[in-house]
Amino acid sequence: MSARRVFAVARRIAQGFRRDHRSLALLIVAPLVVTALLGWVLRGSTAGTVDLTVSGAPQPFVAALRDAATHTTTGLEVHIATAADDRAARDAVKGGSADVALIFSGSGAHVGLTVVTEGSDPASEGGQLGAVQQLIVAAAGSLLPVPGGHFPEITRETIYLSPHADQLDALAPVFLGLFAYLFVFILTGISFLRERIGGTLERLLATPVTRAEIVLGYSLGFGFFATIQVLLLTLFVLARIEVPAIGPLPTFTIGLDVQTAGSPVFAFVVALLLAIGAVNLGIFLSTFARTELQIVQFIPLVIVPQILLGGVFWPVQRLPDVLQAVAHVLPITYAVDALREVMLKGSDLGTAAVRADLAVLAGIAIVFVVLATGTIKREVA
Amino acid sequence: MTGPGAATPTPAVEAVALRKYFGPVHAVDGIDVTLAPGRIYGLLGPNGSGKTTFIRMLAGLARPTSGQVRVLGTAMPNRPMLGRIGYMPQAEAIYPELSVSENLQFFAALQGARGEDAVGRVLALTELTDRRASPALELSGGMRRRLSLACTLVHEPPIVFLDEPTVGVDPALRVQFWAHFRRLAQAGTTLLVASHVMDEADRCDDLLFIRSGQVIARGSGAELRAKAGTDNLETAFLQFAGLDPEGRPLQPPVSA
Repeated sequence: MSARRVFAVARRIAQGFRRDHRSLALLIVAPLVVTALLGWVLRGSTAGTVDLTVSGAPQPFVAALRDAATHTTTGLEVHIATAADDRAARDAVKGGSADVALIFSGSGAHVGLTVVTEGSDPASEGGQLGAVQQLIVAAAGSLLPVPGGHFPEITRETIYLSPHADQLDALAPVFLGLFAYLFVFILTGISFLRERIGGTLERLLATPVTRAEIVLGYSLGFGFFATIQVLLLTLFVLARIEVPAIGPLPTFTIGLDVQTAGSPVFAFVVALLLAIGAVNLGIFLSTFARTELQIVQFIPLVIVPQILLGGVFWPVQRLPDVLQAVAHVLPITYAVDALREVMLKGSDLGTAAVRADLAVLAGIAIVFVVLATGTIKREVA
Repeated sequence: MTGPGAATPTPAVEAVALRKYFGPVHAVDGIDVTLAPGRIYGLLGPNGSGKTTFIRMLAGLARPTSGQVRVLGTAMPNRPMLGRIGYMPQAEAIYPELSVSENLQFFAALQGARGEDAVGRVLALTELTDRRASPALELSGGMRRRLSLACTLVHEPPIVFLDEPTVGVDPALRVQFWAHFRRLAQAGTTLLVASHVMDEADRCDDLLFIRSGQVIARGSGAELRAKAGTDNLETAFLQFAGLDPEGRPLQPPVSA
């Protein structure tokens, strides 16, 4: 093993990047743009309004609802209107003039409460119902006037993050790992495929360089760019920089200001281990591609299933048993778990789960290094 | 140079009963060759005759099915010995996004050659000094060919294998290439140049005619012409291959 040759391979990759601005942009700018877009979509969408129509409710309850709507933070602005009867309330939802209808029936001790939504968009209705539910809880006191007492005050708390955390707070840390994996895989795959079809691999192998030196040099070269990528992305996700108004530009903020509990250093280590795995997965899979287009075709085949099964959007524990077994051989599963542990729960090396995740990620990276080395065909060691 | 009676120096390259089979295809089918130092050998044969497979085995890139290769007395494949060999593949095999000098520095580093001196020397040799900072992508075809040759020679290897180095090279540059090869040979380098262009044959000291993975004739151009009784090497090749001047078998198989 010659450090000089390993560094020569790594430097060759860096020099190539310097002139290949598009690949550099893909690696560095694309993750920032996509994460920013994700932040915009998730946060921009939740800052909406809910039109709530109420029928048959006692007057004090409606007043309490209105009061709660102005004083409670739900993340959504709730507009409250009253409908003449339950039919009018349902028609308002059907016609689209109201998002949620709250229909009271009965009286005295036998009050029934029906919540009606349109039903075609469960995802956004979930958020709207959540907001309405908070108002109902806040206004519930007016329904049960306890003589001489108060309705118990209800406070909401969460174990991790805060009740005000949004989807982005939970997703953004995972995206650190995802991008390190995806973009590094594409770039290494294509880069190594070019070595194979351009004849430079043949020329490399006609020198005293060892296969391990090539694979290590690649890991080092792409690891360097993955490091820059993960650093920038971590900063962007966690930071919040207020940019003051300059001339005609209004004030704006850079960064997503995602809440984090743990050390970004561990998150960084996780993303880097994942990236090294991705480098070698790229080298390995480049054996099975003949053209650069075929490397891109590996994305739906190799990458998308990992995103679906790895716990990015759906928890691994809720997957069917067979798919859980598959999930447990995917590096992304361990990276997602480790990133959540570190960034959301504030775990560090003292937590067994984090240690296990890091160990498995390192193990998978080593397996990929061995696989990648094995695909470089050579007659001498 | 290696006349009879002189103490025989260690051969630069020896191939003994070399064979390479790809399934039923006998790409190289029993070649015995000894290459003496300081000479240019021409490996001539049609496309698909086994030239590239033969060279790849000599360069330690392919393991023979049977037989042995020794380079400077050392049995191949042998990794450290690769540093004594310069191999120019048929493909350009350079990094298009790297500059001329970055390409050379890279291969110099892998070969353990001293960086700037080695790079400056081959840049001058291939007349690429003016273009040293240009990305290889922006070079003309002939310049890329020169860069490919420079990458092969950057570590001053005593043994050089060139797989069709002059394909796609214009006549003026081809003359320059052969002048380089001759200077290298005079300095003691052994060169094996594969070609299917017969008019390059006379620039070699010795020729190996190869067909269907076997050497069908060997000797200097003059010897081979005399043996075949023709002035034309192409005709001589066809005769050694048992073909008539139009490339048809001399004795067509008699059908029953």
